[in-house]
Amino acid sequence: MKPGTPSSPLLLGFTTVGLLGVITSYFVSGPERFWANWILWFLFLFTLALGCLFLVAIEHLVAARWSVPIRRLPERLSTLLLPVVPIGLIALGAVPVLYPGAKPEALHHKILAGKALWLGLPFFSARTVLCLLLCLLALAVLVKGSLKQDQTRDPQFNVRARKFAPAFMAIFAVVITVLAFDWISGLTPEWYSDIFGVYLFAGGFLAALAATVLALGSLQGQGRLQEVRRDHRFNLGAFLFAFTVFWSYIGFAQYMLMWYANLPDEVVWYQVRLQGGWHAITVALAVLHFVVPFFALVTRDAKGDPRRLQWVAILMLGSHALDLYWLVFPVLGKGVLFSWPEVSFGLFFVAGSLLWVRRALTWGEDMPVGDPFLPKGLEFHL
Amino acid sequence: MSKAFAVLGLFDSADALMKAIPKVKARKLGRLETYTPYPIHGMDDALELRRSPLGGMVLVMGVIGALTALGFQYWISAIDYPIVTGGKAPWSWEAFIPIMFEVTVLFATFTAGLGMLLLLNKLPFFGHPVLSAKAMRAITRDRFALAVEADPELDAEAAKAALKDAGAQDIEVLDTPEQTPFLTSDFILRTLGGIFVACLVSGFVMFWAIKLFPVLPPMSHMQDQPRLSAQQASTFFKDGRGMRMPVTGTVARGYLPSATGTQEEATALPNPLPRTPEVFAQGKAAFTNRCAVCHGAIGNGMGSLTAAYGAKPANLQAQQFRDYADGKLYWVIVNGKNAMPGHAADLDENQRWAVVHYVRALQRAQNAKDEDLR
Repeated sequence: MKPGTPSSPLLLGFTTVGLLGVITSYFVSGPERFWANWILWFLFLFTLALGCLFLVAIEHLVAARWSVPIRRLPERLSTLLLPVVPIGLIALGAVPVLYPGAKPEALHHKILAGKALWLGLPFFSARTVLCLLLCLLALAVLVKGSLKQDQTRDPQFNVRARKFAPAFMAIFAVVITVLAFDWISGLTPEWYSDIFGVYLFAGGFLAALAATVLALGSLQGQGRLQEVRRDHRFNLGAFLFAFTVFWSYIGFAQYMLMWYANLPDEVVWYQVRLQGGWHAITVALAVLHFVVPFFALVTRDAKGDPRRLQWVAILMLGSHALDLYWLVFPVLGKGVLFSWPEVSFGLFFVAGSLLWVRRALTWGEDMPVGDPFLPKGLEFHL
Repeated sequence: MSKAFAVLGLFDSADALMKAIPKVKARKLGRLETYTPYPIHGMDDALELRRSPLGGMVLVMGVIGALTALGFQYWISAIDYPIVTGGKAPWSWEAFIPIMFEVTVLFATFTAGLGMLLLLNKLPFFGHPVLSAKAMRAITRDRFALAVEADPELDAEAAKAALKDAGAQDIEVLDTPEQTPFLTSDFILRTLGGIFVACLVSGFVMFWAIKLFPVLPPMSHMQDQPRLSAQQASTFFKDGRGMRMPVTGTVARGYLPSATGTQEEATALPNPLPRTPEVFAQGKAAFTNRCAVCHGAIGNGMGSLTAAYGAKPANLQAQQFRDYADGKLYWVIVNGKNAMPGHAADLDENQRWAVVHYVRALQRAQNAKDEDLR
């Protein structure tokens, strides 16, 4: 880390205020709401960081060259996995409170009793810890190795990364699926959707792309990364555009099959989300997560326009949070809850991760200068 | 001597070509085009090619495709032939989305493909003059050509000079080829005629092939399906009937059984229908069909069947019946009274209550109060 990272009193203040609100909310609004919020932000940061790692790994996997100059951004952002580890370990406290499969009543439920081993706290925790460890391993290989390459200029890292990338894809598939099945589907253990992991992947990868776009815009605003041109931005924009469609494709495919089959144990999950205030949230999600970004990025000029990309990226991060809110909060069964606890949690986690990212953005060089393919990436033309 | 179509200037490197473009462009002699062995980055900008309108066309046609699919499905499913399928309402947008998606893609890809080939690349165009240039072999290998093309006419000498000044190593002048008309009316007629004859011949061949060699019938006719017609006997079911009885307790949609109970219980029932013109019209229609033949058009018991029937129908205008509760009138409609049969099978729930309203209106009409006349 370079010395002299300017501290930000504003972010620090927000984080502190948020933390106070977070702690107060546990005692005032009850543990259920506290844990729902905690899971939301745990999943948000986990999927975001994991998506960034995926972006890094896919570059190594397919030997992409265009993204080498911007690879340092997702690499730095994926270090959010480090704070995610304690957040995830704390989140295990939610399991006996919110997850029906881990509550003592589950023994009287025929289906849940049959899955007691899988849904119970010990194995649940073991899976989560294993996922976190696998992610840390990937972080060590892909990101730490890349940061080290800045000094050593050793092209051997690229060989190692390319060998590790296929393994990472398997790790990624397992982790994101376990995350989706355990932490989100597990809230309603009688409801199944095989495609749920892919759905979470689509949202998380979009959030990762959006965070990369924002980090790029912020660094370029400071006069760094000036060699990254419109061509690179355009590719990021095209990715962002494509994955809004992918997300809605998966989301709608999941909805339509359940809507058609109309099986009571499946359709109830949507029934809850299509009633009362949740109906408005569902519609808002479709509009903010698909319609607006789709038409905002549909033209060729828009995909390379930095300002347009910035606000679409902010929108996508917001709609990923909204997506998780929509996935998690209906299980509380209390309608649309949004008040000071949610605001405090948002403040704490957003400001806190911004603090982390501010520091992370100073780690290593701005571009992977040791990567032998960097010149090729800088030459990239559409 | 034919007119010049283009003047080609040949360069030895991509850099030389790129440097020559602005120089030649400044002379404004005609349309500039380059022919190179591989794509060169920045060429679009150097030639100042206009942005292809294809993207906009594809977007517009894609949206039109989505709306077309939506319109078709909405018309078929919700307006023209609404059927409840799988318990879904006729207007279920969820079911339309996959087809909307497909048709969007169909319109968009056809627009992209045909728009590019026919509109923008001006195909069919069988022989581009440059293909017959002497320099063509070199262009596909290691030389870079800058062409000044006629737009619509070309001053070949000026173009030669411009290319020479810009550093072209060799110059070649291409003549405008003789263009044969492609889509003549004769050609179109012959094509359509050929398609028609081909359809006719293949139709006849298929028809006779199926007739003469019925080894594998390609289609079975609808009347040949293994099913029973109404009232036919069946050997499959134990009771020998082809038609199945509904399960005990089955209630048809919209025909709730009348839960009247005893006369006393029914008397307490309020009339659930509002007094609206539509309800009175419904009541009048049902009364005219079912009641008026005996009770008379105004309910005074002087219907057209009174004499033939041999019994005296009730005069609904009598004080006794004006004092009946709505629920009691309803009970009589359902169960009948004395010689009157019950009409539960003829009138549904709503019609019965509408008739009650209408009878009340008839009674009020014959016993109007002062304020009614004002």
